[in-house]
Amino acid sequence: MPEVLRPHPPLDPRWLQLLSERCADLRGGGARFEDLYIEQRLESRAVATNGELQVEECRTDGAAARWRSPSRVVLHARTGLSTAGLGELLGRHADRVALPPVRTLQTVEMDPPRGWLDWAREVTSRLGPAPSTVRFLSRRAAVVRVGEWAPVASPPIVRVERGGERPAALLAVWGQPRLGAWLQELAEPEPTKAWEPTPGMQLPVLFTCGTAGALMHELVGHLAESDLFVTGASPLAGLLGATVSTVGLEIVDDPTRIDLAGGFDYDDEGVGAAPIHLVRAGRLEGLLCDREGAEQLGTTPGRGRRAAWNRPPVARLSNLVIAAGKVPPEEIEADLEHGLVVTRVGGATVDPVSARTVLRVECGWEVRNGRRRRPLAPCELTGSVVEILAKIDSRIGADPTPDWRLGWCIKDGAPLPTGSEAPSLLVQRLEVL
Amino acid sequence: MSTPEVPEYAERLHRAATATREHLERSPVDRWEIFAKASYTREVEVTPARPLRVIDVEETGVAVRTLREGRMGFAAASGLEGDASRRAVESALATEVSFAGDPLPPQRLLGTTEVRSARILPPRGWATHVGEELARAVASLSDNHLRLRRTILQEGAFGWILATGDGWVARHEDTSTTLLAEVELVGERAGIWRDWLHIPEPESFDPEAAAARISDRALLTRSRVATDSGLRDLILHPEVSAQLLAAMAPLFLATPDTEDLLPPLLDNEGRLAAPSLTLVDDRSNSDAPITGPCDGEGLPARRTLLLDEGVPRHRLASFRDAERCGEVPRGGALRLSYRDYPATGIANLQVLTHGGVPAAELLGTADRALYLLRPLAPVSCRPETDSYRIVASGVWLDGRRVCGWHPVVELRGSLGRLLRRIEAVGTDLRWFQTERGCIGAPSLLIRRQSVVG
Repeated sequence: MPEVLRPHPPLDPRWLQLLSERCADLRGGGARFEDLYIEQRLESRAVATNGELQVEECRTDGAAARWRSPSRVVLHARTGLSTAGLGELLGRHADRVALPPVRTLQTVEMDPPRGWLDWAREVTSRLGPAPSTVRFLSRRAAVVRVGEWAPVASPPIVRVERGGERPAALLAVWGQPRLGAWLQELAEPEPTKAWEPTPGMQLPVLFTCGTAGALMHELVGHLAESDLFVTGASPLAGLLGATVSTVGLEIVDDPTRIDLAGGFDYDDEGVGAAPIHLVRAGRLEGLLCDREGAEQLGTTPGRGRRAAWNRPPVARLSNLVIAAGKVPPEEIEADLEHGLVVTRVGGATVDPVSARTVLRVECGWEVRNGRRRRPLAPCELTGSVVEILAKIDSRIGADPTPDWRLGWCIKDGAPLPTGSEAPSLLVQRLEVL
Repeated sequence: MSTPEVPEYAERLHRAATATREHLERSPVDRWEIFAKASYTREVEVTPARPLRVIDVEETGVAVRTLREGRMGFAAASGLEGDASRRAVESALATEVSFAGDPLPPQRLLGTTEVRSARILPPRGWATHVGEELARAVASLSDNHLRLRRTILQEGAFGWILATGDGWVARHEDTSTTLLAEVELVGERAGIWRDWLHIPEPESFDPEAAAARISDRALLTRSRVATDSGLRDLILHPEVSAQLLAAMAPLFLATPDTEDLLPPLLDNEGRLAAPSLTLVDDRSNSDAPITGPCDGEGLPARRTLLLDEGVPRHRLASFRDAERCGEVPRGGALRLSYRDYPATGIANLQVLTHGGVPAAELLGTADRALYLLRPLAPVSCRPETDSYRIVASGVWLDGRRVCGWHPVVELRGSLGRLLRRIEAVGTDLRWFQTERGCIGAPSLLIRRQSVVG
């Protein structure tokens, strides 16, 4: 696992400390100052079209101040991190703003790592003639609150997108040792003579190669987010403390796994990263909360994440890690009379109100009498959240595998990098859509 | 753009463009282009029994494209003052890579189309008022069977400058107002019905009409569940039509001949779709979501005819893609943000509805029709295999009478056959934001399609 990344905060730490002390004086029309979030981002893109490579670079910075009163929550955001700019931003709501009169140190520019472009060039050539994009994404941030501030560091990530007839994407932490193998899988050709399961068919489905991470991301991760719990919209809302799945199931949301794309050391509200046990021995135990949700639900915060400096923090997942069991996955597969083995998931959604999930299967196999018979054509699987959880087989694979295929999790239109690691899991019945 | 609450950007944009030009003139570049943009967005979320959520965002930035000795660079940096210009220019020079040809359009192609002056944003408090009025109207219209879950109103103002090293400059300012509403059936877990409304004229916004529009589909699903299969007439709700068009959109973007997937889809008369379907990408329509005097590279804004009564005519292309694919450059580049390279894209893809039929009439003309209300998964089109797949929920209609709700229905078959069986288009055109761009789509009546229950 790479060493934890701790880039410098976007502004001089001494000045941030003074700023946090000065924030105690901020008042604004009955509203309480919550926090000031400052962020710098770098996105480098290598875009390959028709054999030509084009390089693009985008550097952005901005800040957002949050205020809260009983009747409204306000976020003011603006481009730029100059002292004057931050003063103007705070002054939009505060009665009086006098920022610390000290000279700030100039922070060093964020740059892509050495060798990045050569690597991107090699990746695009491996992906063949289809248009492709390789992105390097890096950010550094800080959260300033009254009397305290926290630097926010998350690992730089790479996203590889292949266009053309069979679009697919990969998201991984830069430097992840398995990146090469994942790229090879991304470049693999589509199987011929694939089997298309009939819509409406109900089959047992074995999720292998880490794909159970995508399933649990939807079933447990999103539905344990505090905003859905507060409004009662989550189908798991009444099930806290209850057994929802097989007793062998352990699910943790773990931002300290910085080898996965959703890692960080502080969340975007300045709360230190710590794993949260969501499911322990099949019982729903934990929730993913931002500060507001934690206050309302009487639990701990730590999952307030922002899609960018201009969006407010909301309760979101980081890295969903499902503990491995002891059963070799081949053994579970060998027991399938007729079912599906999923090896790659291309997307998944959950509708909290109807409590149904839809998974887009990109690759897999039809299994008959324990043997892989035909490759699976892309298809969708669906089922009710609570039923799927209840139908997870007690045999849990001994093969914990990180998933590279998903990662960009989109909630209310806001994308964020997330990660997952899962062993093989068998769902006794899912419906083909 | 100068309303009391919106900052005045014109002068700051001008200064940023000037500072960037000065940096470029001191740099060893042959040709260059500057794009500076400023935007102000106010988003108000109204959720019953919860505090109002307000997000005010001011975002600015500069982008630069450079060309020297066959090497091209592109970079963007946030901000209009201070270091932004220097960072953009230095990064663009640092990203230069060898490039065949000249990606910047020649000055003879550049120009602007007259657009109407920027509209005024609604006054502060308007969004809250609309959210409350909508909640009341939805409940009243549905006899309290429906509940407005939340409303998000987004009001924005923006301005930009596009300038080239040849001395050509274009400027644009405008505002936009949109609404996202979510309704749900009271006491039932039947899903959220989400509607996105583009509001070109906020002063004439009618909450009652909007409430009817965001409620109609959810109310139809209150009937008993009924499934069926076989060859049936189909009516696509505008949202389903828009998703179908979004899935087909790559067919209307310039492609080299060797990768062109369109010819195998055409019938003997060279037709892709029935004569009732005419598609344009209209960048000169001031009531459409994307407005501006020129495309993302400075070619005059125009209406590009993509499908003329079912027959393909032109395709969208940036200047570089047009050169590469042997197309005439018609201004098909899109630049939604200063952060993005100007690339071929859809701005306002829309179905022309002048020969259309009112939606209510369309619903009544079909026999035992399936009315598809919303897609449950992305609509997929695979031109290389002449196939499509729609998974949606809908209702069965007998004349205008709803006789059952079909929660999940799948349609698949030949894309060409589907498009050539479009018998009529509705007049109920609505705009949708899709992953391919903004699409204006009406209801579509399609005869005799295979339905799998």
